[in-house]
Amino acid sequence: MKKQVSAILAASMAASMLVACGGSTSSAATSTATAESTSTASSEAAPAESTADAGQAADITLWTYPIGKWGDSESVDALLADFNAQYPDIHVTVEYLDYTNGDDQVNTAIEGGSAPDIVMEGPERLVANWGAKGLMADLSDLWTDDQKADISASVEAACKDSSGAYYEFPLCMTAHCMAINKTVFEAAGAMQYVDAENHTWTTDNFLKAVQAVYDSGKTDVGAIYCSGQGGDQGTRAIINNMYGGTFTDAAHTKYTADSAENVKAIETLYNQDGINFDASINGGEEITLFRNGTLQMAFCWNIAQQTNADNSAAGTTNSGDDILFMAFPTESGDPALCGGIWGFGVFDNGDENKIAASKTFINFMANSDETAKAVKTSTYFSVKNSLSDLYKDDEVMNEYQKLMPYLGDYYQVTPGWAEARTAWWNMLQQVGQGTDVTTAVTEFCNTANAAASAS
Amino acid sequence: MDTKKKKKKISPYMVFSTIVIILLAIAFAFPLYWILTGSFKTQISINSTTPEWWPSEWVMTNYDKLFSRQKSPLWEFAVPFSSHFSADGKDIIWWAGPQVPAAVRWLINTVFMAVASMILTCITSAMAGYALAKKRFVGRSILFTLIVCAMALPKQVILIPLLREMSSLQLYNTIWAVIFPIVGWPFGVFLMKQFSEGIPGEMLEAARIDGASEAKTFVRIALPMIKPGIGALAIFTFINSWNDYFMQLIMLSSTSKLTISLGIAKLQAENSTDYGLIMAGAALAAVPIIIVFLAFQKYFTKGITMGAVKG
Amino acid sequence: MAHTAVAKKQSEPKMSRALVRQETIAGYLFLLPSLIFFIGFVIYPMVMCIFTSFFDSSMNRADVFIGLQNYVELFHDSVFLGALRNTLIIVVVSVPITCIFSLWVASAIVNMPPWATSLFRVIFYLPVVTGSVAVTVVWKWMFNNYYGIFNYLGKSMGLLDQNINWLGDTRYALACIILILLTTSVGQPIVLYVSALGNVDQSLVEAAEVDGATKLQAFWKIKWPQIMPTTLYILVITTINSFQCFALIQLLTSGGPNHSTDTIMYYIYYTAFKLYRYGYGNAMGVILAIMIAVLSAVQFKVTRSD
Repeated sequence: MKKQVSAILAASMAASMLVACGGSTSSAATSTATAESTSTASSEAAPAESTADAGQAADITLWTYPIGKWGDSESVDALLADFNAQYPDIHVTVEYLDYTNGDDQVNTAIEGGSAPDIVMEGPERLVANWGAKGLMADLSDLWTDDQKADISASVEAACKDSSGAYYEFPLCMTAHCMAINKTVFEAAGAMQYVDAENHTWTTDNFLKAVQAVYDSGKTDVGAIYCSGQGGDQGTRAIINNMYGGTFTDAAHTKYTADSAENVKAIETLYNQDGINFDASINGGEEITLFRNGTLQMAFCWNIAQQTNADNSAAGTTNSGDDILFMAFPTESGDPALCGGIWGFGVFDNGDENKIAASKTFINFMANSDETAKAVKTSTYFSVKNSLSDLYKDDEVMNEYQKLMPYLGDYYQVTPGWAEARTAWWNMLQQVGQGTDVTTAVTEFCNTANAAASAS
Repeated sequence: MDTKKKKKKISPYMVFSTIVIILLAIAFAFPLYWILTGSFKTQISINSTTPEWWPSEWVMTNYDKLFSRQKSPLWEFAVPFSSHFSADGKDIIWWAGPQVPAAVRWLINTVFMAVASMILTCITSAMAGYALAKKRFVGRSILFTLIVCAMALPKQVILIPLLREMSSLQLYNTIWAVIFPIVGWPFGVFLMKQFSEGIPGEMLEAARIDGASEAKTFVRIALPMIKPGIGALAIFTFINSWNDYFMQLIMLSSTSKLTISLGIAKLQAENSTDYGLIMAGAALAAVPIIIVFLAFQKYFTKGITMGAVKG
Repeated sequence: MAHTAVAKKQSEPKMSRALVRQETIAGYLFLLPSLIFFIGFVIYPMVMCIFTSFFDSSMNRADVFIGLQNYVELFHDSVFLGALRNTLIIVVVSVPITCIFSLWVASAIVNMPPWATSLFRVIFYLPVVTGSVAVTVVWKWMFNNYYGIFNYLGKSMGLLDQNINWLGDTRYALACIILILLTTSVGQPIVLYVSALGNVDQSLVEAAEVDGATKLQAFWKIKWPQIMPTTLYILVITTINSFQCFALIQLLTSGGPNHSTDTIMYYIYYTAFKLYRYGYGNAMGVILAIMIAVLSAVQFKVTRSD
């Protein structure tokens, strides 16, 4: 009996080995011809250096976080096809990361000696984290004077570190906001508290609106999600804005989340009916719950969410309720929205050829005729003034422009950022379990500031 | 005869225990049932607060979504250590076949990983176990103590050094980085030693007197006697490596190199609330191994039991 | 035959030097393939783990020797101590329950008709073969706060008056993890116990029953000693399994809420890849390895002395 089982297992193994080796030599050539983006073995098939403007032949890897449709292989393949039409000798292998495990994946790859060549993300990772650790290549040569003139100074500032090295070349940007289920709010009589025209509200009205929705029988109004770091800018923004607190000081040297304003905001949210501190979900899950009608407001929102039509018509929930995007509530009437600036960074893997090829790629995507398409793929706004009318015919995008002036300080580049954001969701979890807010926030600031001064 | 006797005295306790066992069995089978039915449910029925015990509408959308994601070639095989002697300093990679959905590749990768670990483990352990049981040599007892101590060691303990080691061997992000630590895990050696103790010394002695070489003695005499043990070890290693999520998580990063466990975990992280899609992935992972298990059920149970008796 | 065996035993202590050398060479040649993997991928990393634990080691910068500082810090790190506690809770709770539960299930199904025994054995083994990740994702769905099946069942049976956030509440999260761990770890013990109970000498049991012993007495006096080796083996493998529980934690709770489901396993991973503190993570690994080594040495001693 034992004989049979081992014989069968061995036979199956042998068979799979045979399939492997036998097939490889014969059909490798044919698959190279299809030249899809995952090819790694095709470099030897490219001795042709005749291409006029390519100059370099290289295999490079691009890892993207899910930034609009840049997280979607179909859209990215279309962009890559355009790129390869012009630079046939640069082969780009794409990997798609997620916000839950993406950082772990990049970090293990760095430690495993196989960091990607290009990463698409924001300054908090490219500049403040990997850049600060000396892993990134300086992109100063991409930042020509023309580029600097075309890109706003605050965006530029976010893309370079204190020594003046540029670790990101930006492609797109947006302001993060929140959203409410307008249909439910109307039914609950809560729209009286909302300035739907300007998409703003006061903290007082926000709380009244939440109470009104809660009283109308929708007991899960909003969730301070904190299972992980995904979408955490939403929880920071609601807490900071309510009473005018800040997350860091203006110079980006230390974390100030323990200020009285922030403590008051957290306590108010904790005591508010209808707002749960939910340690089992993250920002992405909050959005799904908002879309399927479980939650009546979402703190993790932006234009890409507003125009997303994967499961229902854009701007509506799955059951067809209207979604209204809103600035975070403030007392002053001047919200400070968290910005997102996404672009490309290059890991310095010690191969000049690959760095040069990576820069070619970045130039093609962020600084050529292709840029409009690349930006539209992200579903966000361009960082370039020259492309400010990219969506001039799009009503929703134009309406969203109303929020852009509220774009606040880009504090995500404060040293120790990766550690601070980890401590942040842990802090929210503690509060959700009933820990005294002042104690939890003080502990958060101690951890975060220790990390800030260590790096 | 035996059953007749049992039938005579059906005690209330037996009725009670049978009912409880049936209820427990339903509870144990339920997650699998929920995976299979969930993978055919619509998004609306999955997100409804009142669960649908039986899908009101069967849809394939979840599987369509799963298979319309990234594609990769059907087969890709990186020769371990090949970057050290290839002309351009890159890994030598054989690859073939049409483009298939990445999820299918994950399954192929997993089968390869589990089968390769199994074969390597069985070969190395059988040899080592035989030597430890039947050869008297210097350092034998120290080695055996080391093996026993290392057996219980969870792999997470050594994750950082192992990652750095794989990186310097240029094995990171290849399936070998998952396979080699599994093969190194000394449980197999221990098990094979226990089995090899049962080989009568006089048979080996007789073979030696007849002038058989060491290798011949091992293959002709020892191996047939420990075959049942090897079968048990093979099943053990197969299940263990199939389920060894941790090593895979640390060592693999490219979509085309993932295993099925890792692939589902990635699906979950990317689409954390699209349970239909996740269940489709889980079904894809679970069904093949369950079929293998049901087909070889008898051997599985025998293997497990035999491993325990000697272990 | 018997004669040669005795003769060999006697001659063994005074093997000739040449023979010893030959045996040693042959022994190591047989061991070589296995040793390459064992030393290369278990012993060497373990040594490196111990070595690095004395350094402040982080991403992309030179290691700094700091002596025992990592270890000193460990015992002041409340998260580590919490993780240590959680790990021990998981082991202490799940190991006995697994053993008792599987013994009870096995003794209940072993006397059923053969088809029923084998059917139930398969069903209880299903979660093991399904694979930890597939099992975990479906449990995550079942525990979901808003549309999970547990809240639905609880509410429809009148046990709960509102949704419980099973995995997001420090009171329940660890218990949920242990529950899932149990369902995936009883399969093997049940198979083992069914076989062990089937091998118990039935005539002894019957003789005892004729003598007027109750079922329970017959079990304790006759069956229990005979299945003792199986029990010890199950104890060992269940302990190792419980220590190794990682996928559950990483996929369900990431150690949260508020570190209430952190185990040392997960915290090592977290320290390395979220906090970039490799030396510190290695120090944790060393502590854990020592704990497990001591535990398994004790268990091994107990098993052998039996």
